[in-house]
Amino acid sequence: MKVGFFIGCNTAFNRPDLEKAFRFVFDALGIEIDDLEGQSCCPSWGTMPSVDEAGWCALGARNFIISEEKNVDMVTVCGSCYGSLSESKYKMEKKPELREKVNEMLKAIGKEYKGTTRIRLATNFLYNEVGIEKIKNSLKYTLEGVTIGVQPGCHSLWPSEVYQEGEKDPFHPVMLRELCEALGASAPYYSRIVDCCGMGGMRSTNVEASYKLVKTKLDSMKDEIKADLLVTGCSSCLIQFDTAQAPMKRENKINYEIPSVHYVQLLALCLGADPQQVVGLSTTDLSGILGKLKKIN
Amino acid sequence: MAEVIEVLNISEGEPGFSDEIMKLGAEELLDCIQCAKCAAACPMVLAGFEFFNKRIIQSILIGQKEILLDDSSIWACQACNRCTEVCPRKVEPFGVVMAMRRSAIREFALPTLAVEGLKSLYDVGHAVYFSNAGEIRKKIGLPEKPPTTASNEQALKELRILMNKSALSSLGIIPMDSGLSDVTCCEV
Ligand code: SF4
Ligand code: SF4
Repeated sequence: MKVGFFIGCNTAFNRPDLEKAFRFVFDALGIEIDDLEGQSCCPSWGTMPSVDEAGWCALGARNFIISEEKNVDMVTVCGSCYGSLSESKYKMEKKPELREKVNEMLKAIGKEYKGTTRIRLATNFLYNEVGIEKIKNSLKYTLEGVTIGVQPGCHSLWPSEVYQEGEKDPFHPVMLRELCEALGASAPYYSRIVDCCGMGGMRSTNVEASYKLVKTKLDSMKDEIKADLLVTGCSSCLIQFDTAQAPMKRENKINYEIPSVHYVQLLALCLGADPQQVVGLSTTDLSGILGKLKKIN
Repeated sequence: MAEVIEVLNISEGEPGFSDEIMKLGAEELLDCIQCAKCAAACPMVLAGFEFFNKRIIQSILIGQKEILLDDSSIWACQACNRCTEVCPRKVEPFGVVMAMRRSAIREFALPTLAVEGLKSLYDVGHAVYFSNAGEIRKKIGLPEKPPTTASNEQALKELRILMNKSALSSLGIIPMDSGLSDVTCCEV
C-alpha cells in the first residue's frame, strides 16, 4: 500500500513532531509514503477560499494533480487541509463550469485536473484501510486505565455529503473513540464531544471568544468522564488544546490541565516511537501519560 | 465586538447586494427562510459573536452591507459546516459567509492576519509559515524544510502563476509579481 502524505502548514512548521509521528506510524504499519514533492498549502480558509472560488479550487487542484501523477490518494493529519481539499474537489465535481475554469487556469502551468485521487483524513484512513484489528496486533505498548476525551474535529464530520468516508452519524462520532479503545484506553461519550475547539478564524479574530469554546469543552470532558488525556483527529485542534490551556490557567479560567495529543502521535507512542521525536514539542505535560504506557510482552 | 443592533433600517439597504453575494458563490441565498437551524448549530453563537450565519444572511437579504463590513464576525467563522449539514433549505450558509468575505475583501475590509496569510501563501506557498522551524525540524530528525513549495522553486512558481491568474491579482491586497501574469511555465 502507498499513500501521498499531504503535510499541511501547521504540521510542517508548527508541530513537526506530528509530521514525524505520521512518518513513523505509516512506516511501522508497512504503508509506503510518497512525499508529494512540490505540494503547497491546501489553501486554508482565510486565504484563497475567502477571495475567489476558482482561485481556491485551482490551488487545491494543483495539489491533487501531484497525487494524480503518482496515482496515490493523499492522507493528511489536518482537518482544515482535509476540509478545504475535499470541498474544492466536491465543487469541481458538482460544477462543470468551475472545473473548466480551473483547468483553463492550470493550462498556464501545463497541467490538467482529472479528479482521479482522493484526500483522506489520517484517522479515517487508519480506521477504514488499516483497521482496528491490525492496529491492535501491531502495538508494542498499550494504555490500559487511561481515560481519553476525544476531539474528532469539525472537518472530519461536516458536511457529511462531501466526506466520502466519514461517520454514519456525524453528530455522534464513534471512529476516533474506537481507534483510542484499540490502544487499550477507554474513550467514553461526553456531552460536548462534537463541539468546536475554537481554533482557526475564531482564534485569530477574538481569542477570548475562542477560549470560551475551549473551556466549555474541557469542563465537559473533565466533569463527565474525568479525562486523563485529550486526543484529537486534527492538527489545528491539537495546537489549540496544547497552547490554550497554559494562558487559561494563568488567567484562572481553568484550574487543571488535560494533556493533549493527536491520535497519530498516540499511536506512534504505542508502536514504540521515541517520545522526544513524536510528542517532543508538546507544551502540555505528557509525563503522566508516558508513564502509563505498558509494554506488551 | 460591535454593539447589539436592535433595529435594522431596511430602507437604507444597498440595492443589488444580494445579487453580488450570489455571484460570489452563494447561489442558494434566496432560499433561506430564516428558520435559525444554522444558528442553533453554530459555534460562533456559542462563543458570542454578533453576526453569525442566520444574521449574516438576514443582513444581506435586506442590503445591510455596511453593517457587515464594520463587524469582524465573518472572519471568525470556523468553516465547520455544521450549518450546511442542518439547513433544511440547502442554502449552504457557510458558502454565504465565504461569499460575504469575498465581498468584504473587494472593499479592503479584511483583517491584517488575512492579508498576512495571503502574503505568506504567495511568498512561500504556505499560509502559516515560521522561518525558524528548520532548527526544530532538524532536531527531531526531519529535513530542515518539508518537501513542499517551501523547498521547491518550480512548484512555488507554479503556485504564484495560479494566484496571478485568480481574482486576487486585480484586488491589490498583496504585492504580486506582475511579470508572472502571462507566463506559461515549467515544462519538465
Ligand atoms: S440558512 Fe438554512 S438553516 Fe439557516 S436560517 Fe436560512 S434556511 Fe434556516
Ligand atoms: S461554518 Fe461558520 S457559520 Fe457555519 S456553523 Fe460553522 S462557524 Fe457557524
